Amino acid sequence: MQVLTFSDARHLVARTGLGAEWETIQRLVGKPRAVAVDLVLNQPISLPGAPPAMSPWNKLEPLRQVNPQGRKQAWVIAQQEGKLLQGWWLNHLIRTRSPVVERMTLFWHGLFTSSIQKTLQPSFLYKQNVLLRHYALGNFRYLLHEIAKDPAMLVYLDGHQNMRSSPNENFARELLELFTLGRGYYRESDVKAATQAFTGWSLDPNNGTFVKRPDQHSSKRVTFLGRTGQFDGDEIIDILLQHPRTAEHIVTLLWREFINPVRLDQGIIRHLAQAFRQSDYDIRALMRALLNHEAFWVKYNRGTITKSPIEILIGTIRMVPYPQEGITELVNLCRLLGQELFDPPNVKGWAGDQHWVNSQTLLVRTSYLTKLSRGNLNRRVFTGLDLPQTSNERLQEWMLAVPAVNPLPRIPGDRRLVRGLLLDPAFQVV
Amino acid sequence: MKRRDFLKVAATLPTLSLLPLTSEAAPGSPDRIVVFVKLGGGNDGLNMVVPYQDPQYYRLRPTIAVPRHLALPLEQNMALNPYMKALMPFWKAGEIAWIQGIGYPNTDLSHFRSLDIWETASAQYRSEGWLNNILPRFKQGLHGIILDENAGPFCGKDCNAITMQSPEVFLSQVSLIQDIRPNATSPALRHITQVQHQLYAAGEQLRTKMSRPQGLNVPFSTSVFGRRLESVAKMIINGVDAVAYKVELDGFDTHVNQVDTQSNLLQHLSVGLSSFANAMKAAGKWDNVLVVTYSEFGRRVQENYGRGTDHGAGSTHLVMGGRVRGGLHGDRPRLNELDHNMNLASPIDFRKLYGTITQNWWRQRNPWAGLGVLPILS
Repeated sequence: MQVLTFSDARHLVARTGLGAEWETIQRLVGKPRAVAVDLVLNQPISLPGAPPAMSPWNKLEPLRQVNPQGRKQAWVIAQQEGKLLQGWWLNHLIRTRSPVVERMTLFWHGLFTSSIQKTLQPSFLYKQNVLLRHYALGNFRYLLHEIAKDPAMLVYLDGHQNMRSSPNENFARELLELFTLGRGYYRESDVKAATQAFTGWSLDPNNGTFVKRPDQHSSKRVTFLGRTGQFDGDEIIDILLQHPRTAEHIVTLLWREFINPVRLDQGIIRHLAQAFRQSDYDIRALMRALLNHEAFWVKYNRGTITKSPIEILIGTIRMVPYPQEGITELVNLCRLLGQELFDPPNVKGWAGDQHWVNSQTLLVRTSYLTKLSRGNLNRRVFTGLDLPQTSNERLQEWMLAVPAVNPLPRIPGDRRLVRGLLLDPAFQVV
Repeated sequence: MKRRDFLKVAATLPTLSLLPLTSEAAPGSPDRIVVFVKLGGGNDGLNMVVPYQDPQYYRLRPTIAVPRHLALPLEQNMALNPYMKALMPFWKAGEIAWIQGIGYPNTDLSHFRSLDIWETASAQYRSEGWLNNILPRFKQGLHGIILDENAGPFCGKDCNAITMQSPEVFLSQVSLIQDIRPNATSPALRHITQVQHQLYAAGEQLRTKMSRPQGLNVPFSTSVFGRRLESVAKMIINGVDAVAYKVELDGFDTHVNQVDTQSNLLQHLSVGLSSFANAMKAAGKWDNVLVVTYSEFGRRVQENYGRGTDHGAGSTHLVMGGRVRGGLHGDRPRLNELDHNMNLASPIDFRKLYGTITQNWWRQRNPWAGLGVLPILS
């Protein structure tokens, strides 16, 4: 039975959480792998605070339709409320006692993505966030059925405009390409067939909740992935869940997120995908298998993932208790670093990993970390900054997934050392 | 890492941008520069280069059309918006190409999506801007400088572009960046250290070239747009070796009371470009620069009830420079042949313009060669 060394525990916490939090690492050191993984996946339930006040659907939507001035007004409201909503999630990311749930929620937000910019409905994005958090480690089957009926998704991918009289393929196409099979495993005729099945899935104009409108549902017989019949959207989703590619696709994405973004092992992925289907899409069970797998632990997969802006912004302040930036500034930094919550660049979400880092964002990352750690570095001066009392070697092992690239500071003092490690390029990877 | 190891790593990298310090030593700025001017919000090309002899134009735009007697005649029955008269000397000198009917079929009418399509040159939801595939092959070291926050066409991990409010602000930020040798522990770390190395080199270059810059003898407007163009001009004449710049002029989303807003913006645009062109001429650089405008879409032909215009499709854009073949390119707008959204057609795919720049200006392989090239360069 393998028990976790300090460096193993650090790896597990940094990969599944928001920052390599010292206390959490200490709790896992010496535990058998399976026990540690279970502890991580069963963190206490930690729910976000009350959301900001947001204009309801039936205020913004009519405003948007009335005339250009109204549309502009709706846009301004959506921007303002959207910023508050971003701040709301950031606040929770800073405080949560269940970082793994937030990491999974961020993952699903990148996959089943929707944006305030297109929907102009911040309250819908809030609702979607609650849904994604609810199923973050739950059941993928339910999650997929629910997201297809989610108001933000119905607006973002134009599903609510998919009518018998004027079909709109947007949702059906992304369902096949991004959410389940992946490119190359379906034909255009399957997109068209799925589009027919989802006709009439719409929103109640009075309150913006999901409704099926039978008068707009096409009862045409279609052939979808080799099966012919009159299908409803839910049946299409069930057919997709029977297809082995769906599980493989999701496992591949999780592999890239948690193990290695460039080096895949198809054999292991297929094996995990099979187990995922056999568990009827239990996400927690899949994550347990993934995190217990040797591939997660091997040295050559460590330090291979570029930290996201959220890991840099939030993960760092959860690790080291530096004085924090205000929420408004953190919202702004997310934008400058290319990860605006509720506002993905496009339907594919964020490209992530190495794409997080370019000249512009590296400059902002460095400025942020420099500013954060700028306090007095003289070890004889008491600043109140509470760092772990441990050896320099251990501090290094704690802060970095791989050895430092820069030489370490010659002048002793833990604040100076921690700052040096924070500004090392190795701090950017996990 | 030992030096030999470093060289081994360098040999495995896809681009040779590890060696920007050598190109930095080259005197003077590169001779093939493009300054992209983004007209944010969707500029109404139809009221910029105006079919002032077409009665249908005045029928569809009863309150917002450019009055016939004020329009500045160009050629082929087209005229320039009078608020752009600052550009007339350059037009007369044959240094401005107007490209009419440029865009893409089935134009997406969302600002965000359509801008993405223009900036990635693809409708396939790419995360990389079109210059990310062109500039790293063209040169080592610094590729682009963006004088606002949105990297747009420069997005992408291989494009060495820096974003700044001004060279002065950038220099204070970049002083935090230390030089570093690329580290190959993992592909992720290799990329990060490579970017850091490039960023440091860009900072060094700007520090060297912009610490006591040669001044411009041409006045610029003190608006944000004017100052940004002035910064671009300063960097070019002081020998900064970027080959592409981007500045932005925003506010063209003229759904209501278009005339005042657009006139004001077009004046800013033309006065700014006129100062820029004069500064380039004074420095002997005008033959080495192309100015290119782009925007997410044009606007609806029929004006709306708010004396404005809604989102459209095909539009007109400008290419300007000492080596431009001036004139009107592309067909005049056909106001009787609108698409299903009642918008102008776009017979010229915007990627044909990108391809022309790529092939005939930067002399690189043209990914859109199938579209042919525009005869806009002499």
